[in-house]
This record gives sequence, C-alpha cells and structure tokens, in this order.
Amino acid sequence: MTVAAGIGYALVALGPSLSLFISVISKKPFLILTLLSSTLVWLISLIILSGIWRAFLPLNSTTWWPFAILIFTSVAFQEGLRLLFWKVYKRLEDILDAFADRVSKPRLYLTDKMQIALAGGLGHGVAHSVFFCLSLLTPAFGPATYFVNSCSQIPFFLVSAIIALAFVTVHTFSMVIAFNGYTEGNKVDQLFVPSVHLAAGMMTLINFAYDGCIIGIPLLFLMVILTLMHCRRMVWRRLTENQRQGNS
Amino acid sequence: MAQTQRPKTLLDSLGEEIIRILTPVSICMFLVVLLVSILNSSSSLSVTSIATIAYSETSSDSSWDKFLGALLNSLAFVAVVTVATFILVLFFYLRCTKFLKIYMGFSSFVVLGFMGGEIALFFIEKFSVPIDCITFLVLLFNFAVVGVLAVFMSKMAIIVTQGYLVLIGMLVAYWFTLLPEWTTWVLLVALALYDLAAVLLPVGPLRLLVELAMSRDEDIPALVYEARPVTHHDSASGPVQRRIWRGRQNVTLDSEDNLSSNINVNVVSDLSSTANIVQANHSGTRMARVEEGQVSERDAELSAPLIDRRMDGQDGVLAESLMLEGMGLGSSGAIKLGLGDFIFYSVLVGRAAMYDFMTVYACYLAIVAGLGITLMLLALYQKALPALPVSIALGVLFYFLTRFLLEVSLYNVL
Repeated sequence: MTVAAGIGYALVALGPSLSLFISVISKKPFLILTLLSSTLVWLISLIILSGIWRAFLPLNSTTWWPFAILIFTSVAFQEGLRLLFWKVYKRLEDILDAFADRVSKPRLYLTDKMQIALAGGLGHGVAHSVFFCLSLLTPAFGPATYFVNSCSQIPFFLVSAIIALAFVTVHTFSMVIAFNGYTEGNKVDQLFVPSVHLAAGMMTLINFAYDGCIIGIPLLFLMVILTLMHCRRMVWRRLTENQRQGNS
Repeated sequence: MAQTQRPKTLLDSLGEEIIRILTPVSICMFLVVLLVSILNSSSSLSVTSIATIAYSETSSDSSWDKFLGALLNSLAFVAVVTVATFILVLFFYLRCTKFLKIYMGFSSFVVLGFMGGEIALFFIEKFSVPIDCITFLVLLFNFAVVGVLAVFMSKMAIIVTQGYLVLIGMLVAYWFTLLPEWTTWVLLVALALYDLAAVLLPVGPLRLLVELAMSRDEDIPALVYEARPVTHHDSASGPVQRRIWRGRQNVTLDSEDNLSSNINVNVVSDLSSTANIVQANHSGTRMARVEEGQVSERDAELSAPLIDRRMDGQDGVLAESLMLEGMGLGSSGAIKLGLGDFIFYSVLVGRAAMYDFMTVYACYLAIVAGLGITLMLLALYQKALPALPVSIALGVLFYFLTRFLLEVSLYNVL
C-alpha cells in the first residue's frame, strides 16, 4: 500500500538494527567488516540448505510435519555454523592480540569482544530479515495489500515484518550469549541458544492454524524477551566480574 | 572509575582503509539499484552500441541463439577495448600525456552532460517535473563543467572529486544495464577474463602501462578513485617514506583505470536522432592529480603506525609490517580503485536488481567479499592486481545460485 507503507514495513523489521548499526557499529570499521562477513556466512548457509531441500520441494502445505523437519534441519545446520564461526573468531582474536602486542596497543577488552559478537549476531539477524521479509516487500510499494488466513486481521506484510523483528533480536543477542558460553565453557549458555532458536522456529508453525498468529506471535516475543533477559544477566555478571578482577 | 580514560584498542582503527573504499562502492551500487528500480520499464529504448553490434537480442530467440549472440557481442566489445588500451599505451609511451588528459576531460564532459542529461530527461518525463529548456540546459552545463573541473584538477574539496567520480561511475553503469540480459552477463564474464589477462600477462596492455609508469616514475593518467588517506599522528617524514611510497606505487588496483576510459559510449536512442554516434572513449584517464602538490600529501599520509615503528629500515621487518598492514590492519597509504571497477560492479548489481531484491543483496555481498579477497591478495603479492575477476566471478555465481535455488525454495516454503 504505497511507498510510505512499504518503507514503514521495512523499518518495522529493520529499525532497531539500523539504530544499533548507527550508534555502535558504524563507529568501528572492524565491526562493519564483521557484520558483512557474518551476513555472507548466513547467506551461504541458506543457499546450501535450499540446495539440499530443493529435491523435496514443493512441500505439501496441508500437513505441518514436513515443515517441522525443515525447520529442525535448518536450525541444526545454522547452529553448527555458529560454532564454526566462533572457532574462526577465536583464531582471529589470537591474531589480533598478537598484533596488538607488536604494535604495543592494549589487548582486546571484554567489551570489545562482546561488540564483535554483537556485530556478528546483527549480521545474522539482518540477513534473516532481508531474506524473509524485505524480499517479499516489493509488492507492498504498490497500491494494494494482501491478507492471509493465518492472520486475517492485519496485512501479510506487517505480520512478516513483526516476525522478522523478533528473529533479528533473537539472532543478535543469542550470538553474544553463544560466544560467551563457548568462551567460558558454560553449558547452560551453550544449550540455551540452540534451544531458543529451535523453539522460536517451531512457534512459527503455529501460524498454520487459522488466526494462529494471535497465539504464535506473542509466544515468539516471549522467546525474545527471554533471550534479552538472559543476555543482560550474563553481560552484567561478566562485566562486574571483570571489573572486580581489574580492581583487585 | 577510570573507564573513560582507557587507552583505545585496535578495534577502533582496524580496517579503516577497507571501509573507506567499500563505502563509495556501496553508494554507487545503491544509486544504480535505485535508478534501475525507479526508471525500470519506463522507457523501452534500445541502445545500439558496440556491445550489440554483432547481435541484437530479441525475446523470441532460443536460448542457444541468445547465448551465441551474446558471446559474439562480448568478443567484439573486448576486442575494441583491447585495441583502445593498446592505443592508450602507445600514447603514454610517446609521452602525449597532455593529449590524454584533455581527452579524458572531454570524455567526462560527455558522460556527465549527455548521459546525465538523458537520465535527467527520463526523470522529468516520469515525474512530470515542470522545468523549461533553458534552465535545464544551464543547470546541466554547469553540472558537467564542475564535474570536469573536479575530476581534472584536484584543488577542490576531496569530497566533491569523490562525489563526481561516483556519479560518473553510476551514469555509465546505468547505461550498461540497458543492454540486453544475456549480453550483459556474458560481457561481464568476458571483461573479467580480459582484465585478468591484461594485468597479469607480461604482454597485457595494462601491465605494460603500469611498468612504463613505474620506470618513468610518473603517474598514470587515469580515472581513479582514491580513498581519502587515513591520517595518523606524526611520523618522521623524509626520504625513507618517499621511497616506500615509490616502492608501493604498484600496489594499486589500477586494472580498471584504463578500462574506465575504454568505455564505449554509444548514445543512440529512438527518441533522439537516428545517427549512430559511436564513440569509443579510450580512457586516457584524467588523472586528476596535481603531481607535485600531492606528493607532499602522500608523505603525510604514509605516516602509519607501522611505518613509524620500523625506522631502522630493516627489510625483514619492513616486509612483514607492510604485509600485515596491507591486509588492512592499520595500513598506510590510500587504496586506489579504478573507476571501471565501480562501473562493472554496479552493472552486475543493477542487472540483479532487474530481477529481484534478493539477488541484489546476494550479489552485493558477493562483490564485497570479492573485493575483500582482492585486497588481501594485494597485501600478499604487493603488485598491481586486477580487481574485477574475483568479484565478478563470485557475483555471477551468487546471482545464479540465488535465482535458481534460494528463490524457488523460499517461495515454496513461505
């Protein structure tokens, strides 16, 4: 429905990430590079997944369990990639630290490491929203709109934008949690991230039912809030520990 | 708490050069995508140019015919470009630099004036802008002249020069996207291969040009985008750095410098005349540089933390630090990218925009990744490298993967 609505939908999905980008990431060039590379990794993972699943499509859209398998395999693959991403990041961190020693600058602080994780997560989130929301928005710039069964009260574009917003947030902050979990060897954190991702994915299956989004979307946002709270608690704990170490 | 006084870490400054070259490339691509999506099917003008001299694509031909036709077109185009580049090398060898610069200025004027004017006309038509001939001509003329001056002489604010370079790239790229589809893709691949050959083969024209310029210690007259140098604080000036600069002069991606001039500007539209004005612009490159004035600036710009440190001049350390710094880890010296690279990256992304937004995103990421890889190779090999092949290869690959795999899957699932 007109250019204004189209831009509006795009901003609903990407607004918070845009503000995160402008305030935190655009100040440090290395973070921009991290964002670009994590977006690329996510894109490659999508291409590989769609290559694998191409043989099974089109799925029978009346039953829900093929989609469940689809979501499960996709999430598993992406979580595996996240682990790989972390390993590469570890190696990079060592190189950077060695370089910093040579140039006699201080080593990376904890906040720096968290910022890198944030940039990585934001890259994943932005890639997700571009592919699952923005690419569908081209008709929204025209004069009409579109409704679907699973959410008959609001336009389809708005629904997809809201879901994309939820996933962006989940991706961004779960990367921070995941990196921290792998660094500390904290099993809770390590398991938290894949399970939240999986749960969030499965919840979108609720949308299959008529008007299912009335239940599905609030539950999705419950997962988002859970992620945010866990992340905040973890970051707070790490920072205070760090500070105590620094002072003592 | 001493939080605010913590010394800055690496993270604050690392990778700044790469971002400084990525930003204008991204802006150029974004502008071309915008142009393509706004002016999309508003005018069905057929551009007759050297690039379509062998075959004009119509939608009723079979795939194999189209492919063959596109191949013929690209071969013709690459042949013309090769000849033009060799002529350029000849002129440079005969020291006709003045002539080359004037030719560059003329080409810039044509691009900005005529192509820019055509696109402005499209806009006026589409949005029914109320403007009269005389005002339009005056504005256009001023715009073009300022552009020529900005590109020609570097006494202007660097942002104006950079802006005009990006604009020239955008205009030429938009015109290239008007070519038929198969021709565009095959042309891109052919040009990437040509670039590879021209820069790396010993008999390649671009390599000859670079070696000539190096041996004479001159600058190549070319349309080159130069990222604003990262200025760090003081460093010792003097002969040491100058030597480094000379030594590093071949660390420029000037593959496309000359190609940027070798743009075939075919301006024929059904709207205007029927005459085929085929101009083969060799890009003499107007090196918009004031030679002497810039040298001193270069000394300052070379003050990188790494160069400071290795004041002892030991080669081992130097090589290592240059290598690390070349990777963008706190490097010195500005990275230069030829305008032709801008143009062909944007052509690829513009063509992807004609299909769907998803392909645009995928191609953009692929090109950026390719550029990053090329920059890393640059740091590794320390000589002039072609900037097109890796990015175009990745871009084309991702376009076809996205178009045939991802899109189908996503639309089936959603």
